[in-house]
Amino acid sequence: MPDERMPDELDEYLRGGSALSSQYKRDSSPQPPHTLDRLVLEAAQPVSRETKKSFKSQSLAPLAFAFSVLLSLALVLAIIFGPQARKPEDKPQVMRVRMFQSEPPRAALVSVRERNPAAWLADITALRRAGRHAEADVQMRRFRSAYPDYVIPISQ
Amino acid sequence: MAPRMLWPTMEPQDADTGLMLRYRDGDTAAFAALYAHYKGPLYRYLLRHVRNAGAAADLFQEVWSHLIATRARYEPRAKFATFLFHIAHNCAIDFFRRDLNLRRALPAHDPDSPPLEPEVPEHQRPDRLAEFVEQQSALLAAVAALPQEQREAFLLREESGLSLEEIARVTDVPVETAKSRLRYAIRKLKDALRPIQEPEALQLRTYA
Repeated sequence: MPDERMPDELDEYLRGGSALSSQYKRDSSPQPPHTLDRLVLEAAQPVSRETKKSFKSQSLAPLAFAFSVLLSLALVLAIIFGPQARKPEDKPQVMRVRMFQSEPPRAALVSVRERNPAAWLADITALRRAGRHAEADVQMRRFRSAYPDYVIPISQ
Repeated sequence: MAPRMLWPTMEPQDADTGLMLRYRDGDTAAFAALYAHYKGPLYRYLLRHVRNAGAAADLFQEVWSHLIATRARYEPRAKFATFLFHIAHNCAIDFFRRDLNLRRALPAHDPDSPPLEPEVPEHQRPDRLAEFVEQQSALLAAVAALPQEQREAFLLREESGLSLEEIARVTDVPVETAKSRLRYAIRKLKDALRPIQEPEALQLRTYA
């Protein structure tokens, strides 16, 4: 039901300064708890982006430096000890020295031993008859290495 | 619920809109200024509107979180207060919807048991109201007793200083509806306070 006093009440109220408004505004005590203040203000900070940026700039730089050092070290080690750094003759030389210092290679010994001594001496005689004395001497040294205790006939 | 803020006309910028624009562009000090200005009114609006301290705190945080999350898309289409309280209105509407569903899901209230009291802050509880000035207590109690729409219209007017047109915008209703709600709210509040302001009139009516 329309009430004639209502427009006046509303107009008076909307103009401001009404007793009702003044009384209501007397109690402005309820405020959000401080925990809410903190939460909202923290949320308003561009934490995620700036923190990540600072995290990147501050923590990734030493990380990158450490990685560079490790990479350099690995590179140096690879140059010194890597397979490309080895000279092809290094290891065989060492092996060869060790072989000669200890004993003749068993495989070579076996292959030489398998040669018939009489036939070998015949070949050496043939080399001398043909005037290939250098070759005959080499073969003789090998023969002696293979058969150090073989009694060679005087004619040889 | 995302606030609907597709208001077509660009209004003149107020100082708070300027602060919000600065915050949108990365000035967090501008946000701190906005927050300091609006935290009290917004909190009281929510507290006295939903009449539940815990829910008010949640909604308060939700409103600001929404504002923060959508700041990059902020375009000044109304006063900042209209923008802020529109978000708050939508959050409160969602709360009432959830609250209604919850009440429907709960067992029916026993008519012989004491009536359910709205959860209000300690200093506003009925058993504490005696500690307050009588009129002030009566006013807050009368505000709490208003129907939801009328209560919101009154709180928006009091806490944010919005005009009738802005209240209509915030609550998504025609201006005449907002005007009617506010008019009835004022009348009911005045009627509730009259016996306290004019005790002799009450006595006359009582003994008449």
